[in-house]
Amino acid sequence: MGAVAVLAGEVRAQGVGKTIDETTLLLPTDVSAGPGECVVLRGPNGSGKTTLLRIIGGLLTPSTGTATIGGREADERDRAVRAAVAALLGAPTTYRDLTLIDHLVLIDSTWGGAPASSDERGLALLDRLGIAHLDDRFPHELSSGQEQLFRLALTFSRPASVVLLDEPEQRLDTGKRQVVAKLIGERTAAGATVVMACHDPELTASLATRVVDVVPAR
Amino acid sequence: MSEREHPADETAYDSVEDSPPSVDEVDYDDHDLLGQADWVIGGEAARKARQQGLYAGYVLFLGALVYGVPIVQTVFRTTDATSLGEQLRSPLAIALLLASVAALLGAVVFAGRFRGPVVPPMPWIDLVLPAPLDRALALRRWWRYAAIGGLFVGALGGLTIGGGLAFAHLGGVVTVVVTTVAGTALGVLATRLWLWSQVRSWPGPDRRLSLLWRVPDALRELHSESLRTHSANTSTMAGSALTGNLRTARLALTRPVRHGRTARLRAGRPFTVLVRRDVLGLRRTPGAFLSGLGLTLLGGAIVTWAFTQPAAPSIAATIGLLPLYLGFGAWAEGLRLQADNVGTPSLLGAGEVTEAVAHVTVPTVLTVVVLGGWVAVAAALGSLPVSALLSLWLVLVLLVSGNVLAAFRGSPTFVLRPQTVALWYAVPALTVVVLGSLVAVLTKNGSYTGLSVLSWLVYAVLAWAVSRVRRLTYLHRD
Repeated sequence: MGAVAVLAGEVRAQGVGKTIDETTLLLPTDVSAGPGECVVLRGPNGSGKTTLLRIIGGLLTPSTGTATIGGREADERDRAVRAAVAALLGAPTTYRDLTLIDHLVLIDSTWGGAPASSDERGLALLDRLGIAHLDDRFPHELSSGQEQLFRLALTFSRPASVVLLDEPEQRLDTGKRQVVAKLIGERTAAGATVVMACHDPELTASLATRVVDVVPAR
Repeated sequence: MSEREHPADETAYDSVEDSPPSVDEVDYDDHDLLGQADWVIGGEAARKARQQGLYAGYVLFLGALVYGVPIVQTVFRTTDATSLGEQLRSPLAIALLLASVAALLGAVVFAGRFRGPVVPPMPWIDLVLPAPLDRALALRRWWRYAAIGGLFVGALGGLTIGGGLAFAHLGGVVTVVVTTVAGTALGVLATRLWLWSQVRSWPGPDRRLSLLWRVPDALRELHSESLRTHSANTSTMAGSALTGNLRTARLALTRPVRHGRTARLRAGRPFTVLVRRDVLGLRRTPGAFLSGLGLTLLGGAIVTWAFTQPAAPSIAATIGLLPLYLGFGAWAEGLRLQADNVGTPSLLGAGEVTEAVAHVTVPTVLTVVVLGGWVAVAAALGSLPVSALLSLWLVLVLLVSGNVLAAFRGSPTFVLRPQTVALWYAVPALTVVVLGSLVAVLTKNGSYTGLSVLSWLVYAVLAWAVSRVRRLTYLHRD
C-alpha cells in the first residue's frame, strides 16, 4: 500500500454546515475532540447528526466550514484519513458468501494483522459482543439486533485513531447496550477519539466526555 | 360497461338425479366473468393495446426480413465453404451445439424460478383471480403472450441460421426448412419448460414433467402467492434495472448462500486474502462457478475457433464473445461487491485499484485456463497461428476491462428512458463484442497495422476501466 502518514485522533470541525439546493441539512456546527475523548452528538431526528458525522469522516464535502482529522482536511480520498477513521454510518455492504468470522479475518488481513492469530482476534471480538456462537453464519441469517452487533464488530475489527458511530445503540436490548458501551469505553481509554450520535441518555451519561447539541435547521 | 346479469343470477341448482343430492353446485360462465373483468379494467383501450402488440410483432417480422437477410448474408460469408462444412459437422461442433441448447434450456428453467412466463398485473391477481373462475382461463392470456413470443423467436432464430448456412453454400431449401422447424420446436419447448419451472417454484401436488404438454393443468397449478411473488420480482427487477441499482436485482435473483460454512477464509497478505475470498465465494456458490464454466467453455471454444480457423465466418467471434464475457462476469462477484460498497466508510485496508485487481485475478486465471485448453486443442489439430495468440490476449484484456466497467458503471445520470438505460447497460458488453469482433476481422485479414492500432484502443479501454474504479469510488463526496 506504500507509506501512509499516521494521523493523530484530533477531530476539528469548525462551522461545518451542509446545504443542498434550497434544503439545509446541517446548520453550521463546531465539534472538537482529542485522543481519549468521546463526544456525543445529540439532537432530534433530522437535525443533521449523520450529515455531521459524514463530513467529519470525509465522506461528504461541507458547504460551509472546515473539518480536519489530525490536522489534514477530512477527505476520504486521502489514504491517511482512510487509515485513521473507522466509521459505522448506515449499513455496510457485506459479502453474501462470507461468514461473520470470514469478514473479520478479511478486514484484519487487509490491515496487516498477523495471519497466524487473525482467527483468534476475530473470534475474541465476536465473543465480546456476545455473538461468537454465530461465527459461521452468513450475514443474511442474522436478526436485526445481531446484525447491528456484527456491524459494530466490523467497525471495531480495523485499527483506527478516530471512531465515528451513528446511533450504535439502535436495535439493541439493554444488556447489549452495556456491552457496546464497555467496548467503546475501552477504545476511548486506549487513546482513540470517538464521535458518536446517540439517543440513549444512559449511554451518553456513561461515555460522553462532552456533548454537542446539534440544532435542527427547521 | 354493458349491462350484464351477475353470474350468481344465472345459478342453476343441480337437479340431475345421479348427482349427490347434498352438494349444491353453482354454474359460472367463466368467459362472461372474464369479459366483464376486462371491460371494467381496461375497456376499449385494453383491446386496442392488445392489437398493437400484434402490430409490433408484424413490424418486427418485416424488419427481420428487410435488415436480417443482408446481415445474415454478410456475417456467414466464408472463404472456404468446404472446410467450414467439415468443421460444422465435426463431433466437437455438434457437442457444442448440444451444449448451447442445453445451456439455453437450463437458463430458462433457472429464470422460471423467479420470473415465469405467466405474470399478470398485481390488481388482476388480487381482484380477479380470487373469483371462482377456471384459473387456466384466467391466466391463459399471459401464457399466450409468452408462448407466441417463444414460437416467434425460435422460428426466426432457426430461419436466420438456416438462411446463413444457405448463403454460405452449406445447405439448401431443405436446410432452411429443417432449421426453422427445429428452432420453432426449441422455442415451444423452452417456453413450456419456463412455465414448468414457474409451477415448480411453489409447493403443490402436481409438479411432474408431464405438465409440459398439459398446459391448462400447469396454469391451474399456479398458486396466487407464487404469482404475486413473480409479479413482485418483475417489478423489483424492472425498477432496479431502470434506476441502475443492479444490486437489488442481483439479490432478488440469487438464492441466499447457506452451505460451505465450515470452510474458513485463511488470513494472509491483503492481496492474497482478497483472492482467497473470491475462491471461497465460488466454492460456496457452485451455481455461479458452474454457469461461469459453461459459458466460458462455450464462448472460449467459438472464439478460439474464430481466431485459429481461416474457414470460420466473421460472425463466429461476435457470437462467442458474449458468452465469454458473461462467463467471466459469473466468476467476478467480488468485483461487483467492491463496487456495491463505494460510498460507505472504508472497512478494508487495501486501495481501490489493488482491491479491483485482486478481484479480477480469479476470473482471469479461470478464463486463461479455459482459453488455454481450447488453444491446446487447436494446436493439436494443427492450426495455431501466432497472430491468433496475440488476438486472444487482446480479447482477455477486453474481458477484464469490460467486466470492470460493468461492475463500476454506477448509476445513470441522464433522464431515465428505457432505450437510453438499455444502451447504458449495454456499453461494457458492446465494447467487448464490437472491439473483439474487430480484432477477429483484422486477424483473419492479416492486417497487422490495423491490429496494432486496435491494440492501443484495447489498452485505452483498460485505462478507462481503471479510471472508472477511481472515479466511482470517490464520486460520492461531490
